[in-house]
Amino acid sequence: MADVILKNVRKSFGSVDVIKGVDLEAKHGEFVVFVGPSGCGKSTLLRMICGLEKITSGQLLIGDEDMSDVEASDRGTAMVFQSYALYPHMTVAENMSFGLRMAKTPQAVVERRVQRAAEILQITHLLQRKPKDMSGGQRQRVAIGRAIVREPKVFLFDEPLSNLDAELRVQMRVELSKLHNEIGATMIYVTHDQVEAMTMADKIVVLRDGKVEQIGSPLDLYTAPDNQFVAGFIGSPRMNFLKARVVSRTKTDVQVSVPDAQDHLLQIPLRAGAIVDPGQDVIVGVRPEHFLGTSAGHGLEVRIDVVENLGGIAYAYGKSKAGQDVIIKADSEQPPRSGMTVTAQIRDEYCHLFDVKGQTLSTSAGAIRGHEAAA
Amino acid sequence: MTDSQTMSDDRPRKTGTFFRRNKLAIMPLVFIAPAFAMFSLFVIWPIIQSVGLSFVEWQGIGPKTWVGLDNYRELLGDQVFWTSLVNNLYWLALFLLAPVMGLFIALFLNQNVFGIRLVKSLFFFPFVVSQIVVGMIFAWFYDPAFGLLATLLKPLGIGIPAILADENWATFGIIAAGLWPQTAYCMILYLTGLNSVNPEVIEAARLDGAKGWRLLVKIVLPQLRAATFIALVVTVIGALRSFDLVAVMTSGGPYNSSNVLAYYMYDNAISRYRMGYASAIATILFLIMDVYIAWFLMRLLRNEKGAR
Repeated sequence: MADVILKNVRKSFGSVDVIKGVDLEAKHGEFVVFVGPSGCGKSTLLRMICGLEKITSGQLLIGDEDMSDVEASDRGTAMVFQSYALYPHMTVAENMSFGLRMAKTPQAVVERRVQRAAEILQITHLLQRKPKDMSGGQRQRVAIGRAIVREPKVFLFDEPLSNLDAELRVQMRVELSKLHNEIGATMIYVTHDQVEAMTMADKIVVLRDGKVEQIGSPLDLYTAPDNQFVAGFIGSPRMNFLKARVVSRTKTDVQVSVPDAQDHLLQIPLRAGAIVDPGQDVIVGVRPEHFLGTSAGHGLEVRIDVVENLGGIAYAYGKSKAGQDVIIKADSEQPPRSGMTVTAQIRDEYCHLFDVKGQTLSTSAGAIRGHEAAA
Repeated sequence: MTDSQTMSDDRPRKTGTFFRRNKLAIMPLVFIAPAFAMFSLFVIWPIIQSVGLSFVEWQGIGPKTWVGLDNYRELLGDQVFWTSLVNNLYWLALFLLAPVMGLFIALFLNQNVFGIRLVKSLFFFPFVVSQIVVGMIFAWFYDPAFGLLATLLKPLGIGIPAILADENWATFGIIAAGLWPQTAYCMILYLTGLNSVNPEVIEAARLDGAKGWRLLVKIVLPQLRAATFIALVVTVIGALRSFDLVAVMTSGGPYNSSNVLAYYMYDNAISRYRMGYASAIATILFLIMDVYIAWFLMRLLRNEKGAR
């Protein structure tokens, strides 16, 4: 078993605090993704787990052993770097076996493991090549192979796909997920791309400014973000945030009016313990995909500036009457044109509600809430 | 689209002048021509001339007398020539310390701490100052009466000879002076080389369990091959053409014990007006250097082929 547990882990460079107390648990076999904007400390956190950065305070456990001060090479972790970091003067086979040779592993074992890893990654025909004679995707495979042969307890990936072109990235994403199913080891993966996070993770850790904003499954983060930052970071295109005001509240629900769509009072259920008073300023969050069509009727009037039509989906970027930016998912076969004004109906059951400080007030959004309301 | 432009028309197109049609073949020659002309005039032609001069007896002015291989025969029996040749070999062997020391200084200086730029420039300083100045500084440094070396060693009870006046020490004294700027040069070459090493590769090696000496030998050094190659070439050439330090510090003395081929050549040509004899020395020196130049060119050609 190789759970990775971080207990109040901190990192400072001089007087600058980069990681400000992170508590985290990655269970054995889990695929955990660290995601966050650049500079949030996600790479630093990964480097602290593998031992390239010292842990200023706190504790790191890998498989029940305290690894906080153990040498990087003895932690049982293997890292795949963004730049692949292959040894340019060695062949693929030498690259992959270097770590084992450093550890004085018997030749037969080395050969067997390299062969096995090469088969998993389908790079057997490349074993005698040098890194400079290979494409980016092939180098990436070698870098992963180098990690596999060490049979680590924990795999660490530092933005491994960001140097690949879009098509290859999608392909490698799927292959990494397959690899994870095949090997079953704990994997920790850093990315700034929320699509990678959503598609690959068992558990997403959203970081900002060296602090954990929320930990949860991709769907948890999508339907029940803990705050406005997570809500805005997860989901693409990002969630719309509309200024609104509380009209009235019952014990469990609140009625909210959005100034741009006054004819429609939103009914939103509240989280336990949420503090809301009538007249209070709040923020309503609606994802682009949760507006109902672009037909006329009650709702938010939006003047369209730009339409991005992807064929299957179209997104319309526009402004409401009050000048708030709004993104709406639109019909791709009959998309609105720029300059048009459309009316977007807001679906209550998909609305999120935040107070002005960004804390979530509403319960988890989505169809479930709709069913609960009906019941 | 007209008929003449369709794909099925496979007649060669005859448009433009001869120059326009062969632009790709001609332009490289045009660009190379000026450099080639200058190189021929100022490098190749003097080499030929000087080899030619080695077969004559000439005082710089006046008539040239053809003597065939006499100059070379004289060289074989010339004790000073052999001393100079052996000294050149000492230079060559000891100068190879420069890349090694340069590498270690570069590794030491290749870190990010406050003020490292200043330290780097201080280490590079001896390469910037003139060799003549280096020679003067070391001559004072070695001075037995007031030199820094004697002053330092006297309280320790170590007496040293007057290094530059001692026939057993003079050459080594000059080589030590020469190593100072040469090490700085190699250091700069290695520092630039280290700059191009991807830090993630070093981190990957650390994760793979390579540390200290093994990390240096297996990961860092192989990536510095280009720098090592250049450092070796400039050091070997530098050792063989050593001249200014000898001229400033000892003028080849005492009793020609610190002479080197380049200085002996100069001495014969300028002080003794023996142009033919000096040219013969120059030719020998040129042949020795050719070994390294050939090695250099072969590697260069091989790398160019490999790059394709």
